[in-house]
Amino acid sequence: MMASSYKDEDGHISVSGSGAPAGAVGDSLRSKKPENTAFKQQRLPAWQPILTAGTVLPAFFIIGLIFIPIGIGLYVTSNNIKEFEIDYTGVDVSSPCFDCSQKLSWNSTRPCTCSITFQLDQPYESNVFMYYGLSNFYQNHRRYVKSRDDSQLNGNEESLRKPSKECEPYGKHSNKPIAPCGAIANSMFNDTLELFYNEPNGTRVQIPLTATGIAWWTDKHVKFRNPGGENGNLTAAFQGTAKPVNWRRPVYELDADPDNNGFINEDFIVWMRTAALPTFRKLYRIIQRRNNLLPTLPRGNYTLEVVYNYPVRSFEGRKRMILSTISWMGGKNPFLGIAYITVGSVCFLLGVVLLIIHHKYGNRTNGADISH
Amino acid sequence: AFVRSVMISCYTSLVLFFIPWAAMHDTVRDDGKDIADYQSFALLTQTCLLIVVSAQVRSRRHHRLWNGNMAQIQFSGRVPPLIICTARNSLNQPNVWLTMFLTCLLCVIPLVAFRFLLIQLRPTITDKVRRNLQINRKEDFLSPAPRRPPARRISTRRSSYAFSHSKGYGDLVTSRKFLRLKRRPSLFTRKNSALVENQPQLYRTITEEAEETQNVDALRD
Repeated sequence: MMASSYKDEDGHISVSGSGAPAGAVGDSLRSKKPENTAFKQQRLPAWQPILTAGTVLPAFFIIGLIFIPIGIGLYVTSNNIKEFEIDYTGVDVSSPCFDCSQKLSWNSTRPCTCSITFQLDQPYESNVFMYYGLSNFYQNHRRYVKSRDDSQLNGNEESLRKPSKECEPYGKHSNKPIAPCGAIANSMFNDTLELFYNEPNGTRVQIPLTATGIAWWTDKHVKFRNPGGENGNLTAAFQGTAKPVNWRRPVYELDADPDNNGFINEDFIVWMRTAALPTFRKLYRIIQRRNNLLPTLPRGNYTLEVVYNYPVRSFEGRKRMILSTISWMGGKNPFLGIAYITVGSVCFLLGVVLLIIHHKYGNRTNGADISH
Repeated sequence: AFVRSVMISCYTSLVLFFIPWAAMHDTVRDDGKDIADYQSFALLTQTCLLIVVSAQVRSRRHHRLWNGNMAQIQFSGRVPPLIICTARNSLNQPNVWLTMFLTCLLCVIPLVAFRFLLIQLRPTITDKVRRNLQINRKEDFLSPAPRRPPARRISTRRSSYAFSHSKGYGDLVTSRKFLRLKRRPSLFTRKNSALVENQPQLYRTITEEAEETQNVDALRD
């Protein structure tokens, strides 16, 4: 026998039963009654804003007046950020990297290099951040995002020998477990970018690039750990594992610096933090400011030397290098400033319109009676 | 009403996705490190969603929407272990807070404006009563002597059953506020009417019938 009771908004309790005798329905009515608690009888204290002209109109005006200066501040800050972007995929025949992009395959042993010259019109002060950007690269594909083993990356010995099933088909290679396993690690970005400043007298000065301090602190010190303990020998710790299929060097040879080698290599960590959108940029290097008097990157001609390892032509992706300064609101993104200005002005206009409507129509029913 | 809900949901969904998307597009933190990664983006969107839904629930007093709220909290718990890391890294960015603030406001303001417009142009009985209560309260401060609003006497002839269908009137009527005539003139000024004594009404006064029809006509347009 099925009897259901429900309570609608007026508080009447209705019971509908099927196949039950009348007497039983009466009994079930008594037993199925919801308890007389505040929660079940919907007597919880509630608050509903009463919208009067005295509250809504000033609120709209205040919101408008607050948002517009915030928006202007954001927009001005964003405009003051200097950014330079250069696409080095080599799609055009005239591009310096065209040859590299045509000849490249995952199996080529000899690296291909190309040089691109560009010019900076403005000097860049303070720390300058160098990013590599990829387009049409879907790091947010679900199967791709899941293809990793976080406990292996955390230094767990057992996961090192037996990677999780999510890593398949990048979990084993020639009967050895892959470290680090998964599609994300396998597709790691491996171009090398170097920056040179062409002095007016013709000499080339290499600009020093800092490779540490580019990953999140929590990633580097909490999430990613090397197996074999803090100061263990990495080569020994990774013995018996294979490198990912598309890598040229194994994971314990990523950097000479022992603090940046193995799973805690910051380029690797930055890559493993999958991007949300198909066009993204990831921090590559930091150009530290030298002193407060000289700009970090003076105006002039520069050369970008690329060791072109990463093939993107097959999925019509693009690669670019971005140089950018930073402010309190992050990189150059005028959207938030424009959005705030727009919303602020719309709010203000809406307030004015509502004020007019309130004056014309709002007082019409004042003093009127409630009869109907 | 269904179409209205659908439209509100569509608009809210679009705002909730595209504003964080545009704010995170090609953006980085204030120390240069990434912020446009999958988990931060999801965190931002989820937080906006929670705040907006809470605001909408409160503004419309729909108790049943608590279920929807619980579902959303469960969904956002799907990346539980490392959400603390992500939250710690992205929630100290003023960019993120500003985006959240903008999204929530952008979802709430149209609703507030629309309701305000409705109150001004097509006030329901509830709104009119509230407005008159407010006017009464204000005028009570100005003139403490009890007034005789002849037009409002019509209301004493209305049965409280009609009012009890709007939310809040059950409490209002049974709280016996009408009988406290010393403090302020209430809606129902007649002391000897059947309504005030909570008796069913059994008669109609003939003299006020002309006023009643006139007011009914006025209200019909």
